[in-house]
Amino acid sequence: MRQLEVALIGAGLIARLHLDAWIGAGAAVRVYSDDGRAADMAREFGARAVDSLAEALDGANVVDICTPTDSHHEIAMAAIAAGVGVVCEKPLAATAEEAEEIVAAAARAGVRLYPAHDVRFAPPYARLHELVATGGIGEGAVGRFFFSAYHPRPWTGHKSARSGGILTDQMLHGVDLAYWIFGDVVRVHAYYQGEIATPAPEGAVATGTAVLTHASGALSQVISRWTATPKPPVRVSFHVSGTGGTVSYDSEWPQEVRIADGEAGNFGYAGESVFVTEMREFAQAFAGGPEPRLGARDALAAVRITQAAAESAWTGRAVELSVKGAA
Amino acid sequence: MKVAVLSFAHERAETYVRLLRDMPGVDLVTADPDGAAGDPVRGRAMAERLGVSYVDSWDEVFASGVEGVVVTSEVDRRRELVDLAGEAEAFVLCEQPLATKEADVKAMVDACDIGGVRLTVASPACFSGAFAAVRQGIADGVVGTLTTVHGSYHSTPSGRGEVDGGALASNAPFLLDLVDAVLDGEPAEQVYAQTNNVLSGHPGVESAALVTVRYSSGMVAAIDCGWSLSPPNGPAVTFVGDRASVEYDASPRLLGGYDAATGTARWEPGGADPYAVMLKDFVSAVDNGQWTGPDGAAGLRTLRIIQAAYESAQTGQPVDIG
Repeated sequence: MRQLEVALIGAGLIARLHLDAWIGAGAAVRVYSDDGRAADMAREFGARAVDSLAEALDGANVVDICTPTDSHHEIAMAAIAAGVGVVCEKPLAATAEEAEEIVAAAARAGVRLYPAHDVRFAPPYARLHELVATGGIGEGAVGRFFFSAYHPRPWTGHKSARSGGILTDQMLHGVDLAYWIFGDVVRVHAYYQGEIATPAPEGAVATGTAVLTHASGALSQVISRWTATPKPPVRVSFHVSGTGGTVSYDSEWPQEVRIADGEAGNFGYAGESVFVTEMREFAQAFAGGPEPRLGARDALAAVRITQAAAESAWTGRAVELSVKGAA
Repeated sequence: MKVAVLSFAHERAETYVRLLRDMPGVDLVTADPDGAAGDPVRGRAMAERLGVSYVDSWDEVFASGVEGVVVTSEVDRRRELVDLAGEAEAFVLCEQPLATKEADVKAMVDACDIGGVRLTVASPACFSGAFAAVRQGIADGVVGTLTTVHGSYHSTPSGRGEVDGGALASNAPFLLDLVDAVLDGEPAEQVYAQTNNVLSGHPGVESAALVTVRYSSGMVAAIDCGWSLSPPNGPAVTFVGDRASVEYDASPRLLGGYDAATGTARWEPGGADPYAVMLKDFVSAVDNGQWTGPDGAAGLRTLRIIQAAYESAQTGQPVDIG
């Protein structure tokens, strides 16, 4: 089988993680970034840097968009026009309208479109989904989804609070999981607090608090936080309840390997990186294998729900979503 | 000290009776004139089973010089009993909810004020030493500025859903009272709530409730207070500040393991017995006038939030509290 040719756009932290994962999945990668950082990153991973988006797309099977959100639409539309498959870092686009355009264009062109919602590839969430989908909790009643993390670098850009801050950024993870587990969302309410507008400094502190009402009648509470310190750097947990019992998870529970005491530097073991699992699944799909666990519909739903959360926090009203087509 | 338990209607009445019966220095009397004759868990039969003294009417209780009363009657009889306690100048520990109507709660607060006695709400998690430490820590600034509280408390389906009513009214107070204590009575400004009846199966009996409350300082509390098939636990509440966050769990795990007799995982809860702590606190409040725990005004603030939550769940929009 011919090696998958991936055009990776961007050279930030996410681009590095994706690049490593693509190489692990056996892809050949060319990197383009308009910030001059592509060459160094490409050299480090044994990839190839190119000088323009057009050059990157030329002959590529897949574009992987790891640039700031505002540029996703333009790059995705260029790739779709060139018949190149699309992987896009979340969120797919800065607005629901842009996301809808991308999804519609990809469908018309017959181009595969996969959003990089990496947490769906984390074992506890994958298992939760499997349990719920196979009736393990009976009829779903309520889910609570918590994400907190330290923001390791300054938050760039110039966005007002109206654009949603943490609600359209980190909260997408929790929203995506709630949608994956309980399906379509018809009503969204959210509050946000703390550093909502950008730019914001490293270690910016913010909280988003959302309630989602699903078409099935199930309810989700999603709480998303940027924490004041990197202790711990990331914490995720959930609790899901239904007529057949409950399921819960907390990343603070001991796993296969943990530091029992003392300072052990960066030593640790977390199993296979979610990005490796994710890019391997995408690569197999682009090579004609089975469809991955998420696609264009999920990308659009996540954008629509998080945009509704932003609108709710800004207006102080709950926002109704129509089930048709998306959320 | 003479203390009375008024009515055996509430499922917790028996717990209170046992605890007070065994407390040194407490002379316990009970009355349950509203219980159906012949019901083994009501009236004189129940008192005899528990080995405590019993009188046949409320008047007899209040004529006996009680200094403190625990009100565990049906919800719609609570106001009448609290009014009588106020007149008799007896301190009151009243089960949740105090009443279902704001006017009734106000009247209960007034009755106790006039009597010069305290009306304390039976919200057990508020009385623990652990919660006092959390409250003090937050007041001392250990989390920085408190911005967000999220917490959960679940009850198991009783099978009497239509009798007991929904999860919002019965469970939310246990969480809202904790928030109210930490916020020192700061009023709520806006409430959003969604409910469903997936577990109850009864329209009109909500078995799931998510409530988000914004307080006047901008502090946000998000709670989950529905039924759950998990064994009862909590309340568990996380207090988030701009510098750190603190988790409080009123029933943490003390011991784990496996129980071959039931074929299930062993889970022995730790922490203090909240009912014992609450009653001890109540008795010392009667004795020396020093109390902790939510008062009638706190009960009123909580009731307003719950009423707004029901309205919000119905309209699908946030409700402002004036």
